Amino acid sequence: MSPIEIDSLRKEYGDTVAVSDLSVAVEAGEIFGFLGPNGAGKTTVIRTLMGFHAPTTGETRVLGADATDESALVGVKERVGYLPAHPTFDSDVTGRAFLDHQASLKGDARREDLLELFDPPLDRKVREYSTGNAQMLGLVTAFMHDPDLVILDEPTAGLDPLKQERFNEFLRAERERGTTVFFSSHVLGEVRRVCDRVGVLRDGKLAAVEDVDDLLSRGGKRVRVRTVDGIAPADVDLPGAVDVEALADGVGFTFTGDFNDLLDALGRFDVVELDVEEPPLEDVFMHFYGEPEPTEEVESDV
Amino acid sequence: MFELVGYEARRRAKGSAALAVLVGAFAVMMVAIFPSIEASGVDFASYAESLPPAVQAAFNIQAITTVEGFLAVEFYQFVWVLLLGLYVAYAAGSTLAGEIESGRIELTLAAPIRRRRVVAEKALAQLAPVLFLSAVTPPVLYLAVLAIGESLPVERLVAAHALGVAYLAACGGIGLLLSAALSRADFAQRGAIGAVFGLFVVDSVSSGTDFSALGALSPTRYYDPTAILVEGTYDLGGALVLSAGALLLCALAAVVFARRDV
Repeated sequence: MSPIEIDSLRKEYGDTVAVSDLSVAVEAGEIFGFLGPNGAGKTTVIRTLMGFHAPTTGETRVLGADATDESALVGVKERVGYLPAHPTFDSDVTGRAFLDHQASLKGDARREDLLELFDPPLDRKVREYSTGNAQMLGLVTAFMHDPDLVILDEPTAGLDPLKQERFNEFLRAERERGTTVFFSSHVLGEVRRVCDRVGVLRDGKLAAVEDVDDLLSRGGKRVRVRTVDGIAPADVDLPGAVDVEALADGVGFTFTGDFNDLLDALGRFDVVELDVEEPPLEDVFMHFYGEPEPTEEVESDV
Repeated sequence: MFELVGYEARRRAKGSAALAVLVGAFAVMMVAIFPSIEASGVDFASYAESLPPAVQAAFNIQAITTVEGFLAVEFYQFVWVLLLGLYVAYAAGSTLAGEIESGRIELTLAAPIRRRRVVAEKALAQLAPVLFLSAVTPPVLYLAVLAIGESLPVERLVAAHALGVAYLAACGGIGLLLSAALSRADFAQRGAIGAVFGLFVVDSVSSGTDFSALGALSPTRYYDPTAILVEGTYDLGGALVLSAGALLLCALAAVVFARRDV
């Protein structure tokens, strides 16, 4: 039994099809990234997993429990952690009072350990919290009862870079402890740093499920070069460089080849600046599927 | 069990206390002005008789020149039946719909808790301030009446508040059901106020007409503080109807809430 099993899931809101024909299984002990642009249907899938929304057709199972069977799902929820996309709390209580309340519902074996990593101001009322503090309170809530499976919707949104890195380290340590993690993101870089596998969601359909390494090697990097004497697109003639374009002060291209070749090639120039970045998700999609990300969005926040 | 009740009741403690102070202050003020009204010699009885029958029925104006008749109209019919009835319905309207609208419900339902238990505990948490208010108001009112040299039968005062709990629970039930069905707190709140006020009006204007059966849907039909305070008649059957209605509304809210996307 896989901790998460989704079989032919379809969810409609009125005339809008948010998710269709989606099947995927998340294996025990893996970190599964659920990648897609905003509005692709990630949150809809997560809400059906948590039993908040009922599928129109198809089936979702969480730790073996059918997500539409409330008794079964409630029976396993003590072993499930959840972080919503925009965690909201009763604004008139302190962070501590909220955690006390959650602890009374599901336990808090790991609360203190987590608060050393993620430290929202517990004695302040939640209404005074910044986005980052609310996110940290949400993360503590998600993990405090030491769940076997954690479902996280955009977990690093609002965290500063230091806290993001701390979160990534924490997630890797969780994997070592055997926790299964399912998390959604629209940021490729985030997914690549921690995930084992990634499902790419597009327009409510699962476009691909891949090992992260495969995904990245095909997605490539965005490279920008500036040199003392100028460099032209024609100068970038090496395997794995595509979409070469002239920039105001250099060239830019997407690179999927060997970095040693790139460095050798650039050795001929007096390089002033070299940027190697994650490509935007849209570019990865383009490389994958040969067409740009469509502009029409499917509403997922319903 | 009852974790949500405790949490919600604690959150509302300050608000409940503030409401009790306001209601208590209004009660004391009404008691305080009674002697001057009595002394003014204004013929309230004939004034009341000159009002349209529907208005007389709406506020059940009787024996307004006695302290119990005066309080029945000016405090119980107005504050307890109308204002508090509307307030409780309004407050209940935000419970579930407000959490669905803001997304807070997700963190509650992510915990191992069934939806019907959420509804039941939210309903009990709504009842907590009502019970608190019903417990602290009678002694305040009683002492105020003693202070102006009048007297009030204690058992009637207690009965007015005890049966009033069933009435307010029914009003809260209307708000809770709307709250379970709608995803926007302000719709549920306005709908609840509209429903309770509309039923009050229907009960009032249909009273004594061929259409008085219409008023049977209104909680106000089953709770009459004037009859309790002035005549000492307790409508226990009415209280039963109100309690059963409140339970039915909560049960319906639980069914609706369990089946919907949140």
